Amino acid sequence: MNTFVNKFSTHSAVSQLKRAQKLVAADEDEYSDAAWGSQGGFGNMIKGIPNFTVPAVPDPAAFLRLHTDDHADPSCKIKIQHGTTTLAFRFQGGVIVAVDSRATAGSYIASGTVKKVIEINPYLLGTMAGGAADCQFWETYLGMHCRLHELRNRERISVSAASKYLSNLVYSYKGMGLSMGTMICGWDKTGPAVFYVDSDGTRLKGDLFSVGSGSTFAYGVLDQGYRWDLTDEEAQELGRRSIFAAGHRDAFSGNTCNLYHVKEDGWKFIGNYDVSTMYYEGPGDVPGAPGGGYGYGIRTEGRSAADPPASS
Amino acid sequence: MPDMHSLAQAQPQQQSFNPYTENGGTILAIAGADFSVIAGDTRQSEGYNIQTRYAPKVFRLTDKAVLAVNGFAADGNMFVKKVRQRLEWYRHAHAKDMPIRAIARLIQTMLYSRRFFPYYVYNILGGIEEDGTGAVYSFDPVGSYEREACRAAGAAQSLVQPFLDNQIYFKNQTPAPGTSFPRHLPLPTVLSLVIDSFTSATERHIEVGDGLEIYVVLSKNSPSIQGLRDVRGVTELTATEDGERVFVVRRELKKD
Amino acid sequence: METSFALIGKGYVIVAADTTSARSIVKMKNDEDKIKTVSPHLLMSYSGEPGSYFLRRIYRTKPPTLSNPQHLPPSDPHAAASWIRRSLAESLRSRSPYSVNLLVGGYDTAAHEPKLYWIDYLGTVSEVPFAAHGYGSYFVLSLLDRYHDPEAPLEEGIATLKRCIQEVSKRLIVSPERYKVKVVDKDGVRDVEI
Repeated sequence: MNTFVNKFSTHSAVSQLKRAQKLVAADEDEYSDAAWGSQGGFGNMIKGIPNFTVPAVPDPAAFLRLHTDDHADPSCKIKIQHGTTTLAFRFQGGVIVAVDSRATAGSYIASGTVKKVIEINPYLLGTMAGGAADCQFWETYLGMHCRLHELRNRERISVSAASKYLSNLVYSYKGMGLSMGTMICGWDKTGPAVFYVDSDGTRLKGDLFSVGSGSTFAYGVLDQGYRWDLTDEEAQELGRRSIFAAGHRDAFSGNTCNLYHVKEDGWKFIGNYDVSTMYYEGPGDVPGAPGGGYGYGIRTEGRSAADPPASS
Repeated sequence: MPDMHSLAQAQPQQQSFNPYTENGGTILAIAGADFSVIAGDTRQSEGYNIQTRYAPKVFRLTDKAVLAVNGFAADGNMFVKKVRQRLEWYRHAHAKDMPIRAIARLIQTMLYSRRFFPYYVYNILGGIEEDGTGAVYSFDPVGSYEREACRAAGAAQSLVQPFLDNQIYFKNQTPAPGTSFPRHLPLPTVLSLVIDSFTSATERHIEVGDGLEIYVVLSKNSPSIQGLRDVRGVTELTATEDGERVFVVRRELKKD
Repeated sequence: METSFALIGKGYVIVAADTTSARSIVKMKNDEDKIKTVSPHLLMSYSGEPGSYFLRRIYRTKPPTLSNPQHLPPSDPHAAASWIRRSLAESLRSRSPYSVNLLVGGYDTAAHEPKLYWIDYLGTVSEVPFAAHGYGSYFVLSLLDRYHDPEAPLEEGIATLKRCIQEVSKRLIVSPERYKVKVVDKDGVRDVEI
């Protein structure tokens, strides 16, 4: 890694990483170590900027792929957790954010209780799809910078600026193997806002997004029920039902649905709903729910397509 | 692949760089109301060869935190060493032990700093939170983590976790009419669940066996100490006067 | 991309298939009818490369004699689905298998009941209340879980089908622009304009 060539080459992966770190650092003020009191608790961010160890091979990204890409090679050892359905949409009453809670490693359900909504600060939410650690780490890191923005500028960061910060950050690591598909949701001076940001560097402003392996199934229900003038209760119900639909149809999604609602005064956690319970009994006594199970088999129980002649 | 050739010409190097292996074994942790139990077997193997019958996978970090490490043993040992070093620095700077939720975040950042050259380790951190409750944090190799009530990892995770889901979370069980499930199980029950988990995993998994180390962390003045009274082979490891107490229970597992 | 859906309702089956016939990146034709009327109360939509060849095989009917009745597709929907499945399964194990995905919808005139069978190129059959093939199925199956009603009158069934078509054209990158829609009920088969 510290060979002469690597030190001065301008396009090796190591120098690309160095550039990324410089780019991140450019935004930092000088921190003195004394400001932290100790270096003990700050992991790889002793100076406030992340610092990464990279293997001493010509192509570190290929090395990483070789050992962690369980999609290309199911027998690889390090399995990074994948598989998800997340959605967020903007409407008259704010932003609804709904996600499932399943994490899979290969075909093993590694966890059914994952928190895929990352509470960046009281006004900002981020969702998690792709690499769990990538989303958790970088969105927490984004939270630190949103706070610094508040301290420096005496006002909250806009959703647009926060999402752009994240997008620029992950773009600087492009090709290194980060994997994230996230929606940055919140309320700022412009009102409710949703931005889609992914590790390719895509950043899109929009009204309605769904990300993850189950997203197509969520879209199927979401698109059909979506209107700008949905009431709060209707919107929450739509978010829940769409995650249910994806949990039901996509094997990599399921377990439970976590629902959040962002309004002018910040986000609020609405509830956690078990997908199987929603199938048989519905989400329980919540505003907006029609009563009864969401499941096709439950909804259409006893209904028959047979059409015998009236006389018989 | 085509550009591999040009690189190979520019810089002579080994065909494929593989610094990883899998050393088997299983770890698990369960959080109680005012205690936490962290356990692991002691067999270390590579392929079908048993390298040693006693290689600890569970380590006391502080009097309130115990870390279990599974996967690639060399990475695991190195990782524990580095975590301990950071905890010592913290102790020197702050004259106290790092709280467990901070250790959890520290482990996240330490694992994530190797995002592009991961430690092949699955970590489970167990101990006592500042409010006195039992806690379990589980991590993936690159640092995503979550606080849970119980978690199994390693070779036999797919054998042990469903058993724990059933016995700890009461998944797929219905309480008898007029009763409800307890929110937290008492220590003796948890200890027998842990022992049963490992004896069963030993029966059905070739990489599990030889010995069992169960660490028990108790919160300040925890009445759960009663539960350790009659347990065979308990050793106390408490080092400070903070109030939390750490014990280890060592048991034999089948050696075939 | 080729897409087809079908759903049952009170006394009928609706089968819809896109009308494009593509080769490589080119749309060769855009009014191809990919739903064949196999018998007076039986419809079959096909998608996949040589769909029409498979049809020809089915239609290569020898005189229906008692000695070889298996050469003629039966008119009872369940029997027809089984017969078609068997033809596919045999083809799969031959030197040049057909790779066609089918939706077989029929009206069982004896039981007064509409029937729908989802069949893929491997010869997997399942009887379902609604079905879809192609990329469209990723969007439409959850939609039908939500909106399909086995007792819906025809207008409502058509409305649900329109939702499916609208959803696919909204979300699928290369979505078909036209669909052929046919209905089979007690009175037989007819086209529906949508």
